Amino acid sequence: MALAVCGAGFGTYVLVVTAPGRYPTTTTILFSGAVGGLYLGAGLLARLRRPGNRVGLMMLLVGIGWFAEDLQISLDPVVHTVGLLVRSASSGFLIPLLLMFPDGRLRTRIDRVLAGAGYLTAFVLMPATVPFSTSVVRNLLLVHPVDWVRPATDVVQFVMSGAVVAVLLVRWTTATRPARRVLTPLFAVGLVGGLASALDGMLGTGPSWTHTPLINIAHVAVLLLPLAFLAGVWRVRMGRTAVADLLRRMPLASKEQLRDALARALGDTSVQVGFPAPDATGYLDSQGRTLGAAPGQQVSALERNGRRVGVLLHDPALREDRYVLEAVVSAVALELDNQRLAAEVRAQLAEVRASRARIVEAGDEQRRRIEHDLHDGAQSRFVTALVTLRLARQRLTNQPTPDPGLAELLDRIAELMGEGMDQLRDLAHGIHPAVLSETGLVAALEMIAARSPCPVRVSAAAVPELPRPLAATAYFVAAEAVTNALKHAGATTITIDVRHEDGVLRLAVADDGVGGADPDRGTGLLGLRDRVAVFDGEMTISSAPGQGTVVSATLLTGDSGRAAPVQGEDGRG
Amino acid sequence: MTASARTPESEGPSAVQRTHPLRIVLADDERLFRSALAALLESRGHLITAQVGDADTLRAAVARTEPDLAVIDIRMPPTKRLEGLRAAVDIRQSHPGVGILLLSQSVQVTHLTELTGYGVRGVGYLLKERVADEHFLDTVRRIAAGECEFDQEVLGLLFNGPHQQGGLAKLSTRELEVLKLMAQGLTNPAIASQLVVSVKTVETHVGSVFRRLALPDESEGEYHRRVLAVLTYLQSERHG
Repeated sequence: MALAVCGAGFGTYVLVVTAPGRYPTTTTILFSGAVGGLYLGAGLLARLRRPGNRVGLMMLLVGIGWFAEDLQISLDPVVHTVGLLVRSASSGFLIPLLLMFPDGRLRTRIDRVLAGAGYLTAFVLMPATVPFSTSVVRNLLLVHPVDWVRPATDVVQFVMSGAVVAVLLVRWTTATRPARRVLTPLFAVGLVGGLASALDGMLGTGPSWTHTPLINIAHVAVLLLPLAFLAGVWRVRMGRTAVADLLRRMPLASKEQLRDALARALGDTSVQVGFPAPDATGYLDSQGRTLGAAPGQQVSALERNGRRVGVLLHDPALREDRYVLEAVVSAVALELDNQRLAAEVRAQLAEVRASRARIVEAGDEQRRRIEHDLHDGAQSRFVTALVTLRLARQRLTNQPTPDPGLAELLDRIAELMGEGMDQLRDLAHGIHPAVLSETGLVAALEMIAARSPCPVRVSAAAVPELPRPLAATAYFVAAEAVTNALKHAGATTITIDVRHEDGVLRLAVADDGVGGADPDRGTGLLGLRDRVAVFDGEMTISSAPGQGTVVSATLLTGDSGRAAPVQGEDGRG
Repeated sequence: MTASARTPESEGPSAVQRTHPLRIVLADDERLFRSALAALLESRGHLITAQVGDADTLRAAVARTEPDLAVIDIRMPPTKRLEGLRAAVDIRQSHPGVGILLLSQSVQVTHLTELTGYGVRGVGYLLKERVADEHFLDTVRRIAAGECEFDQEVLGLLFNGPHQQGGLAKLSTRELEVLKLMAQGLTNPAIASQLVVSVKTVETHVGSVFRRLALPDESEGEYHRRVLAVLTYLQSERHG
């Protein structure tokens, strides 16, 4: 900024100082001021937009150099002599500028040598010739005029220009699309201006019908040159806008979309993203094929927190615009890392859900086994004992002198054992009703109704054979809801409605009780929430005071990806 | 503890059979229970023609020994679900003269339809523990004689069950009342005295119950039509 202000001040000074010596056609104040000013302005803009890029700085220097060269136009001998010393200042800066465009770096050895030669010519060789050159205004440093100095410096400058043009032409022909995109404005302006100048030189500089338009074209080209530089820098900036655009569009739905978005952002249709192969042996492209770099493609590693999350195959030219490339690489790495993390979370979630389902299933299985063992073990022994007792009682009766006290005792034992059996049966039923595994959910719900002291109406629609843990879940929810309705709500009628449609089992238990149940406290239903969640379902309790209570649960029976065993013939109750 | 659909004395099975020893097949995979039950039945002079532990052996034993009665546990190996019931249904088809007494360790009402699909003559369904009851031996005899017997608890479940809607909507309130009492095993005179109406009125109600429930086979006789009416009553909503 300071440099630009100094440059502008200097330029104004130069224009003022040199005003008397100017010709009206070729070296007008307006033209000089415009070219220098444009370099300063464009340089400043480039500098502000891309502080890390030396192109802006060089443009400012070219602008200052441009004004400095004009000092030689001054009629004042001192100013004129100073102007002679810096009469090639702008080209001294222009040569490195051309070579380092657009990213501000001199890439090859030739570039660096040429840039050095440019500085050397402008700031050592040219000043060194001043003592040997005559001029229209008095040269204060003149020692002895030498006639061949002028042609010699012209040759040097011509060779320099030729070398720079050659380097730039080589660069253009070898450039890939993204690189050319940046170079195009500068080269187009340079070509037009250069051709106009060259034609003008060939046709003669004398006033003719060709000179005026050609010189005008050349002037316009010179004027446009700083703008072309700026446009080039701007295009790089556009690339960054494309990166911002890319970031905004993430996350992208598919790998293919990601690749396409990258191709757009980088202006490189050959770009490929390498996604890590599942077996971690290599990389796959967006369509799942093994990825291989095409000849000449560059590979950039996509890393995140030191972890390689993928690779990017791209045109090496993108390296020249390393800011964009780095941004894209970071963005893609972030995206791939996010995808990896998301996949990890999904896998973990699936595992947690599967394990929860397994826990529920294992619990049910245990309950079933306990119920079964009670039936086949304890209960069966009870019955056998009762029958045996009955035999004993019979034998006692058949004796010639039966002991009435003993008969009474035996009857008492039989009675107690009968009560024990009833309790045992209720216990077994509460643990896991045999009817559930033997006949299914609807029959089990009807059993709830049958055992209830108040009327319970069961309506069932299109209930298919259900996976066992799911049927048990629906049963336990209904049983708990009915128990609550009887125990707390003082209900007189209860309805159980169960229906199956579109892979969802809907259960609703409604009563006409007092309502006002707190769904978050004091009911065994809460404990069933987790069970319901196993089937991607949910349970709601609506219980406004005086409105009765409705407990409803939805359970997904469709393809939820869980391998729940279907209630089958191997059921043991 | 048991309730049977009793018939008027005139229509009941001959009392002569009361002392006649029965030939009985026992099917239960619980060997201890089976032996105890066999001892009990043998103590009354009955003959146990076979003791088996699974359904296939049961079918074979019935075919071989042609008993008067088969006492069958509903749950038997290999799956311990409803093998006994399936075998009972098979036996009713292949040997209609064999009485069937099914024993179940838990109260379930859903099996009744399968069991009564071929009529209710000589069919019993009891909780297993009833075998220790005083009346058990009488029950065995009655079933062998062609009567039917359903566990009080099973009937109780059916009565508490959901039958507010369905096929019974066809019946009037009074007819429903009569039917309920029928289901409890009351005779027409007993129903008449309970409802404080004449026996003739009850007979009219019973007749219209049979009609409305469209019980088809009049050859079954009054007694069995009563039972079928009761069962229809108990199951019409459930399965219709």
